[in-house]
Amino acid sequence: MRMRMIAVTATKTMWANHLIRFGRLAKLIAIAVAAIALLAPRYSVCADSAPTVVLNTGKAGPRSVESPTERVILRDYRFAWANLEQAMESSSTAPLSGLFVGTANAWLTDAVASQRRNGLSSRYLNQNHKVDAVFYAPEGDMIELEDTADYDLQILDGDKTVHNEHVVVHYVVLMTPAADRWVIRQLQAVPQF
Amino acid sequence: MRRVLEHGALAFLVGVLCLAAAAPAQDADLRAPSSALAGNAASIATTGSGTGSFYLVGPSIAVKREVTLGQDVQLSAKELQSAGTYLAIVCSGNCRSVGFFVAPAKPVNLTFLVHPSRAPVGQTNMVSGVALPFDEFRNLVLVPATVDFQLTAAGTAPATHRVATQNGVAWFHTNSGRSAGALQVTASVNDVATRRVVQQVASDPCSLRIKGQRNAKGFIVETEPVRDCTGNPVPDGTIVTFTAKDSQGTGTVDAPIKKGIARAQMMGSGAVAISAASGVVMGNELRLGAQ
Repeated sequence: MRMRMIAVTATKTMWANHLIRFGRLAKLIAIAVAAIALLAPRYSVCADSAPTVVLNTGKAGPRSVESPTERVILRDYRFAWANLEQAMESSSTAPLSGLFVGTANAWLTDAVASQRRNGLSSRYLNQNHKVDAVFYAPEGDMIELEDTADYDLQILDGDKTVHNEHVVVHYVVLMTPAADRWVIRQLQAVPQF
Repeated sequence: MRRVLEHGALAFLVGVLCLAAAAPAQDADLRAPSSALAGNAASIATTGSGTGSFYLVGPSIAVKREVTLGQDVQLSAKELQSAGTYLAIVCSGNCRSVGFFVAPAKPVNLTFLVHPSRAPVGQTNMVSGVALPFDEFRNLVLVPATVDFQLTAAGTAPATHRVATQNGVAWFHTNSGRSAGALQVTASVNDVATRRVVQQVASDPCSLRIKGQRNAKGFIVETEPVRDCTGNPVPDGTIVTFTAKDSQGTGTVDAPIKKGIARAQMMGSGAVAISAASGVVMGNELRLGAQ
């Protein structure tokens, strides 16, 4: 009889241990789910940081755009926008990586500096760029692009969002070849093409 | 029942407070300038009362300042130098925004790219130029403008190409002239002109004539003055290759043209056949007998 009681007690203890373990597991799962839920928006922001760029060079003239040139322009234009996004969000010119020169660089540097002075920052999220090359110089030393860009524009004053809007912006872009890349010389928004 | 009534009263009170808090924000609004020009002051009308934070975000600017609602916010000429999209935001409780465009001013600069810097004469579509008008703030002027390209070379009548800008760009290409010398290329729009110079140089040699004679070391060969097909002397430094064949084999000498003539000293005492070539042009064959 005593043996049976011991056996029953042992079984109860085992179940209690299982329950405790299950409880811990459930807790861990709950924490993990909560963590994923909390971090998900941040991950989606990271995923958003790579702009989508579609480049069409079919309309370009008088010179036709060679395939390797098209690939490099696409690569550098996309990279430039990713850098612009980082620079404007961090209010630092460090991420610009020399992909903006001349007027484009001066404007961007001024914008970043004045943001920093005033405690502002801006975000260009979920970028999509539909880019048409409209002019490619006879000697291949300049290309003009028309970019219909849409993105979520957020303006922040410190931590406070003062503006949040999905915008469609038309840009006229002048790019020129540098030593190992194509750089943006002019990035100018226009009402329409 | 009593608890339900208490909750209802609380919800009503919260609603009233929210409406009260939101009321001033609804009053604050903005009206953008109907047309703004780069480098010109403008103003933005605001409605409402009290004060608010005003933000102006543009291509090269992001500023914040406190403003009195109900009054116009003055934007200085310096704040509107860059053409493009601007966003004006005013926050008083809620934030309201309005976007507007700043257009480029009139062109005062022409970026003018001309290629090549040295152009062989008599070539089709050899010289090209691209002109882009900019205003004084380095904004690309996209309003169509007529650019006059004028090409002037010594001894010829000036040639003019009149081209309207498309998307802010005007371009031309043309044949190079028939004579070597400086070609002045000018692009002008309104009162703004930019000049470039293309050096037109002789094209490839048109024909080669050689002559030679024996001397103590072997034989010396030289070309007659080398010219292109339009009669221009080929530039000094152009290489002429002399090839000599005799019973011992074949020998070659590369000689640069100096003052229009290429000259080479070659070895050998037997009968020899000499030829010359420069680029794709072959000269006559010269035969010299044994010494």
